[in-house]
Amino acid sequence: MRRLGDLEAEIMDRLWKWDRPATVREVVDDINKDRELAYTTVMTVANILYQKGWLLRTKQGRAWLYTPVRSREAYSAALMEDALGASEDRSAALAHFVEGMTDDEVAALRKALRDAGRRGDSRGPG
Amino acid sequence: MSEALPVLGYAAVLGVLAPRLVLRSAWPHRAPRLAVAVWHALAAAFTLSVALAAYHLATPTEHLHASFVGFLHSCGLGLDRGVDLGLGSGQPDPGTAGRLAGALPAAVVGAVALSIGGHALRAWRVRARHRAVLDMVGRRSAALGAVVVAHGTPVAYCLPGRRARVVVSEGTLELLSPAQVDAVLEHERAHVAGRHHLPQAAADGFAAVFRALPLARHVRRQTALLLEMAADDRALRRHPGGVLATAMYEMAACRAPGGAFAVGGGTVPVRLRRVLGPRRPAHPVLRGAVAAVALAVPLVPLLVACPPAPV
Repeated sequence: MRRLGDLEAEIMDRLWKWDRPATVREVVDDINKDRELAYTTVMTVANILYQKGWLLRTKQGRAWLYTPVRSREAYSAALMEDALGASEDRSAALAHFVEGMTDDEVAALRKALRDAGRRGDSRGPG
Repeated sequence: MSEALPVLGYAAVLGVLAPRLVLRSAWPHRAPRLAVAVWHALAAAFTLSVALAAYHLATPTEHLHASFVGFLHSCGLGLDRGVDLGLGSGQPDPGTAGRLAGALPAAVVGAVALSIGGHALRAWRVRARHRAVLDMVGRRSAALGAVVVAHGTPVAYCLPGRRARVVVSEGTLELLSPAQVDAVLEHERAHVAGRHHLPQAAADGFAAVFRALPLARHVRRQTALLLEMAADDRALRRHPGGVLATAMYEMAACRAPGGAFAVGGGTVPVRLRRVLGPRRPAHPVLRGAVAAVALAVPLVPLLVACPPAPV
């Protein structure tokens, strides 16, 4: 299961990098530069990616030409939008380092930091 | 009925007065994980009290008319009608009362349990969906022990649970120094290692059932804040407060302009001041006392409602 996901990412990675439609054969040949992988395995996973809605495909002769539905940047942007979503449910699901703040709060923090810097990092009111 | 009143009174104390007491204390911010346990003990004790009160209101006593079932009966809402229509007695069927006495408290506890389970499940689904995309577009960095997403906005978060992920955007790596990045990642790893999503799901689930209750509102917000503080403490083991505080400030300030995600009233201001301030962990004796109270609080309603039989 885990390996399948890794292979999915590997295939998407190549198609995004090449930025053009490609056949399963091209992908297999490129992966085989590093390690042995059966053509049918890659074909199966490419088909899964098509069914999951990650890839589009058009017939060229007897082979399928695969293209990513959206660019990597578009997915990354959507992912960050999802991560930054202000919904409270969302913030419970993804534990954020900081949440969004108002300009007034930011100004107050800047002052607190400046005061702490003046006081010195180690000293403080007991 | 007579047993129901003290239990209801205890529930009112827990639901309204106890939160004020805890909020006014200084120790929770010095022992955040203990404080999370105290808030959850209050929530558990409240649930138990309401369940026990429901039990006593539905239980037939000598003064049947004063009990909940007797009350329903006198209002013509006899739940026993279907069972003993032919009898036409003035007394509710004890069998029905017994069933109600069992069903009501079970319904209270069940509602809270279902709500917590529902929140945990919903959060799990959100994370699974997010992780599926993340694993495809993110770049795993062995050096950082995190997944890096190619995006300019400074973001850092984690997907807790099994198959956990700590995530940073390239914007974060550009904005912060290596030490700051490490402090942020350490904070996120603390969330994962501490399984902080579980107490948060419990708090959210409890809050959803008793929406209007002050305790519910506070349990939810305080759990979130205190878990952030616990994660800050973990990061502070390896990094000075100044590093963590400036990282917080930089990331928050970067996102504030435009205000697209500015919610205000968040946890950062109080966390930042705490991180910058002197480190004063709560005294062991105080911790012990608080822990004892946290353990005792849920036991009290049981003792009040079910006193040992007189000898």
